[in-house]
Amino acid sequence: MTTTRRDIFKFAGGSALGALLTPAPWRLITDTALWSENWPGIPRPARGEIRAKFTHCSLCPAGCAVRARCVGEQPVSLAGVRGGLCPFGVTGHQLPYHPARLRQGPVSEAMAAVADAIAKCGPGERVAVLDLRPGRTASWTARRAMAVLKNGWYIAPVQSPVAVDLTKARTVLSLSAPLLERWGTPANVFAVRDGFRLIQADPVESRTAALADLWLPIRPGSEEALALGLAGQLTSAETAAMTGLSEHQIESVGQTIGFGRLSLVIDRAMSPAVVALNVKLGGWGRTIVPRAEAPVPPEWKKAAPVTDLATVPDRSIRVLLIDESAPGEYLPWDAIEKKLAAGNPLVVVFAWSANGYGRYAKYVLPTPVYPEATDDIPPAIDSPAPCFRIAAPLLAAPAGVVTPSEFIASLAGLPPADALRERARAIHQGGRGTLVTYADAKSVPVKEVKPDDFWKALNAGGCWVGQALPPANFRAPVGQALPPANPSQGLVVLATPPAPSPASPLFTKLYQESDLLLAPNCIALHPQDAARCGVSAGNRATLETPNGKWSVRILTDSSVRPGVVLAARPEMASASGKVVRV
Amino acid sequence: MNAQKKYGMSIDVDRCTGCGSCMVACAVENNIPPAHAGANDRNGLTWIRVYKVDNGEDYPGKRSAFIPVLCQQCGEHTPCASVCPQQAVDVDPRTGIVGQMPERCLGCRYCMAACPYHARYFNWWDPRWPAGMEKTLNPDVAPRMRGVVEKCNFCHGRWHAAKQKAAAAGKSEIEPGDYVPACVEACPTGAIRFGDLNDPSNDLRHPDSFRLLKKLGTDPKIYYRSKRDWVRNVAQASRPVSSQKEASHG
Amino acid sequence: MRGKIIFLAGLAAALGAGWAGFPYAIYTSRPQPVDFSHKVHADKAGAKCEDCHAFRDDGTFAGIPTLDKCAGCHAAAMGTTAAEENFIDQYVTPQREPPWASYARQPENVFFSHAAHVKLGNVKCESCHGALGASDKLPRYRQDRISGYSRLGMSMTDCIACHRQQARADSCLDCHK
Repeated sequence: MTTTRRDIFKFAGGSALGALLTPAPWRLITDTALWSENWPGIPRPARGEIRAKFTHCSLCPAGCAVRARCVGEQPVSLAGVRGGLCPFGVTGHQLPYHPARLRQGPVSEAMAAVADAIAKCGPGERVAVLDLRPGRTASWTARRAMAVLKNGWYIAPVQSPVAVDLTKARTVLSLSAPLLERWGTPANVFAVRDGFRLIQADPVESRTAALADLWLPIRPGSEEALALGLAGQLTSAETAAMTGLSEHQIESVGQTIGFGRLSLVIDRAMSPAVVALNVKLGGWGRTIVPRAEAPVPPEWKKAAPVTDLATVPDRSIRVLLIDESAPGEYLPWDAIEKKLAAGNPLVVVFAWSANGYGRYAKYVLPTPVYPEATDDIPPAIDSPAPCFRIAAPLLAAPAGVVTPSEFIASLAGLPPADALRERARAIHQGGRGTLVTYADAKSVPVKEVKPDDFWKALNAGGCWVGQALPPANFRAPVGQALPPANPSQGLVVLATPPAPSPASPLFTKLYQESDLLLAPNCIALHPQDAARCGVSAGNRATLETPNGKWSVRILTDSSVRPGVVLAARPEMASASGKVVRV
Repeated sequence: MNAQKKYGMSIDVDRCTGCGSCMVACAVENNIPPAHAGANDRNGLTWIRVYKVDNGEDYPGKRSAFIPVLCQQCGEHTPCASVCPQQAVDVDPRTGIVGQMPERCLGCRYCMAACPYHARYFNWWDPRWPAGMEKTLNPDVAPRMRGVVEKCNFCHGRWHAAKQKAAAAGKSEIEPGDYVPACVEACPTGAIRFGDLNDPSNDLRHPDSFRLLKKLGTDPKIYYRSKRDWVRNVAQASRPVSSQKEASHG
Repeated sequence: MRGKIIFLAGLAAALGAGWAGFPYAIYTSRPQPVDFSHKVHADKAGAKCEDCHAFRDDGTFAGIPTLDKCAGCHAAAMGTTAAEENFIDQYVTPQREPPWASYARQPENVFFSHAAHVKLGNVKCESCHGALGASDKLPRYRQDRISGYSRLGMSMTDCIACHRQQARADSCLDCHK
């Protein structure tokens, strides 16, 4: 019998019916559905034992204590030990994987170039380290290295000479200090927020102003005038003229914070005028105390002094090493640039991304980034007692990175690697203070801890807390009466408080997937100012300041003070900005 | 049998500084990827989102407030559960939590239309993390694929962990301190508080509290507090008021 | 007549292929990396399930033990079998984790708590894992070619069946994450 086409169809028909009566087609449908849900591109979280590790966050000078939830060795989430963390702290563990993170750099080439340039320094030319977060052990290493070099200088932004004690204040007058937004240690500030009345003098309705008990809308740049006026060094009328407030408002504030009322006046960096006002209000030894740091080994005292950038002679620095690995306040580049020698100065920047000063440098050398870096964090501005806390690394840094203090120390022939341990030894030998550990929530006097255990505890995220310095004779600085401010030639560009940069990729939640934060490439201005500049909402424009030009997108906001532009990046801040239509 | 719990939150608008810690902590805990290049505030993934509202006045009369909005865990006639054709939304009677099942979702987005709080989010794109960042994913939460809806479920991974810890000790009730959602843990001001609304010992339902869009009768479990009258008025308005303007999103 | 026979032949062929052939064809299989015998360890070493498959302090289940558990005893050869020698050469000495294939592995979106079932529910290991604990040889790991799931992995219907039998209320998020 020959097989006909009909036979084949009949066979196929029988097979089809038979197949339906077997599990095969139903199983294939289910499997295909399951296969379609498991795209290979969707990552699977790694599994493993969940552990808690403790460290301190080194992204800003607050140095909050952090409990890291780790899968195996990898941190997957971070939480504050004493309360919440700021959004940078919450996402810090993602920074090692940031696309802009540098992993390689011309380290040996830079080392050779720096050594060469130092050797060729002429008379009057300097080698300088610019340390953006002074007071760390790494800062001491840099100072010791600069002392060894014959023309070495150590430059740092001016630090507040006092620490504030918010627990003692019943009224806080903040002169544009972002008290509720990245000033001091967030969890500590909010723990005592209900204990004081907050008056915020601020040119814009910042987040602190929005939640303050009273907002005084002052002219930008008039904070010091208000401080001098309240101290009686300017008349009410002069102060009113400079700040734009009414005399009645100023007198009312004066009465509120009056002498003996446990008032505290703060500004961003506790300037001399503000410190003098606090002393005048009787706050010395109560709401403000001398700023203390943890003890250092006595042989370190042979270190270069801390120099303020403003006192450095212009055009005198031949080699500048900028340690941007632990940033704090922002110094505008033009203030730095004019101190560089004319004709081919050598600038080397240590940073974990090229977004900061790296754009002006000959060499950008990559550093470890939190949570890879081993660094200590000096006491925060709202910490009356000295403390010593190490940002114990949670992850290993990649092979190509360099630690700034090791590089700088090797230029001077110093062995730096044990600096933290030497300092811990000095603290332990001092016998004062307590060791606070978070894993077991214990607080033990240092005298009862063995040296090795002390060092181990510090590396497991513990913290040494000393005693606040007793207020000694402190000559209150006399704030100078101000010359009348030049009327601004343009728009005043005000930036949000300095922030770790770049932030985690998840920050798109805050400015791209919502409008909670001003995006880094956006500026906000009053509609009238926008109209004057010929731009409107949504346009692209160029923001020009003496520090540079940026391409930005315009937002208009009728609640922004006329004459002021809000920007999100500290380098855009300026007293005279222009917005130019593209 | 466990007592019926009704998990809810109290959010103090007078303490919220709009820092955004809650938003990023939620993204870290729940494996939410960073925005795709084309994302904006209409199609992003922000399970909790802080809105800035103000009293509508110009400088210097302007006063702002920040209101975090997340899934309100509606109790009555849960709108999203009642419209889902896949039964991908499940209200657990023992905890009161409205659970979203991305694995059942087919992406019709009917629930997104039904939710009056705009608290549901669609995965318009494949989730992508920068190289290496997938190592930081949380093993207690499964990443979702493109094409499904997702939303806050009160950090259910943490509830699982709390239950497991209790089970290991032979208990069937969890310790309240063991179950804290990521946003509550991250908030530096303590504005967001979480607990069992059925427990009389906490004051989540303070007399000053109000709930969003109460007139719709959804019986949400998120209670907001503010002493400022203008905040309460704005919160009850149909649309948030803001003096910040921008041309249409690109 | 002939047509009917051919039709029935097709029917029979499909039924045969579907019921007898398909269940084998849909799976790939591979042996486990180490020829481990549960029986030998239970008898000779006197080990019970919990000795290697233990709970951690926070209630999570360690699952298949890591290399350090095995190396705790097998740092040097304890017997004379080739399987043990192989194991020490390939895994213990180079400190390499054996790439075990987990029969019971659940998909990413499933949360299963051993603590709840074993400690609160008093479910015996054998109820879900069968006679694996008493077996002399580990069965080959059979994996669905399309979905990638293990053949011996329990599906949701299996879990629901037992939960319904025990009259336990269940909500989706109890088991999904």
